[in-house]
Amino acid sequence: MTDAEFVRAYEVVGSDFTNAGRASTSIKETLKNMGLASPLIRRVAIAAYEAEMNMVMYARRGTMTLHVTPADVTIDVRDEGPGIPDIPRAMQEGFSTATPEMREMGFGAGMGLPNIKRNTDGLVITSEVNRGTHLVLQVHVS
Amino acid sequence: MSDTVQERAAVPVRRSDPVSATLADVRAAIGADVIWCPDLTAPVTGVVAADLMSDVLVDARPGNVLVTGLANVQTIRTAVIADLAAVVFARGKAVPPAVLELAREAKVPVFMSQRSLFEAAGRLYATLAGRPAEGGEGRHT
Repeated sequence: MTDAEFVRAYEVVGSDFTNAGRASTSIKETLKNMGLASPLIRRVAIAAYEAEMNMVMYARRGTMTLHVTPADVTIDVRDEGPGIPDIPRAMQEGFSTATPEMREMGFGAGMGLPNIKRNTDGLVITSEVNRGTHLVLQVHVS
Repeated sequence: MSDTVQERAAVPVRRSDPVSATLADVRAAIGADVIWCPDLTAPVTGVVAADLMSDVLVDARPGNVLVTGLANVQTIRTAVIADLAAVVFARGKAVPPAVLELAREAKVPVFMSQRSLFEAAGRLYATLAGRPAEGGEGRHT
């Protein structure tokens, strides 16, 4: 990896459960090709996958932008969707507004945001109701 | 009710830690059919049993085998993301073609067992609990 920042964006489509997880799988593959350590890649991949599933479940569309520098892996997750009215509540394990369809996919148990936080070194969430949600999640390389 | 709570409290809840086993051991323990597996000698570090992929993403360790009744593409994607060794579909669940195709593409070994999730997990626990990894304590969830 060079000192230059690597940037790649991935589009995510709301309610597209067939392709849900493809972006995160690509992100994982990209990081693997860069030669980053497996435990770090796994943390990033899990956080990315949870964020991607949240977008597929709740948003109309979204974008995940991967930034890699020698110091950090950052994913900027931005969606157009209902937003999160009460972020502290959404951060509580078990709190969920998921539909039965989401649960049939094995998600929607209110573990997403807490699990993103658990796997990252930095997480910033901003959200505007009826507009969308913006997450910046970061994992330190060293 | 209180008895149940006490019983649960008496059993420490611990995460699945490394064991020394292979996919062949897993297959033999539950009499699973091989749906797709290029290498039965691949190592297994433990087992995680759940239908909720959110729980798998929290509880699973790299190299674990996932035993589940959820047969959809998210099961395979979860296995890829969490570095799992294989997926065992319990209760004789038919594996949809799209799921099998993704498993092959992502190189995730897939097995199918006629046993219930409870029985498959129980048999795997019984088989693997006595096989701690070298230098490890050998614990299971």
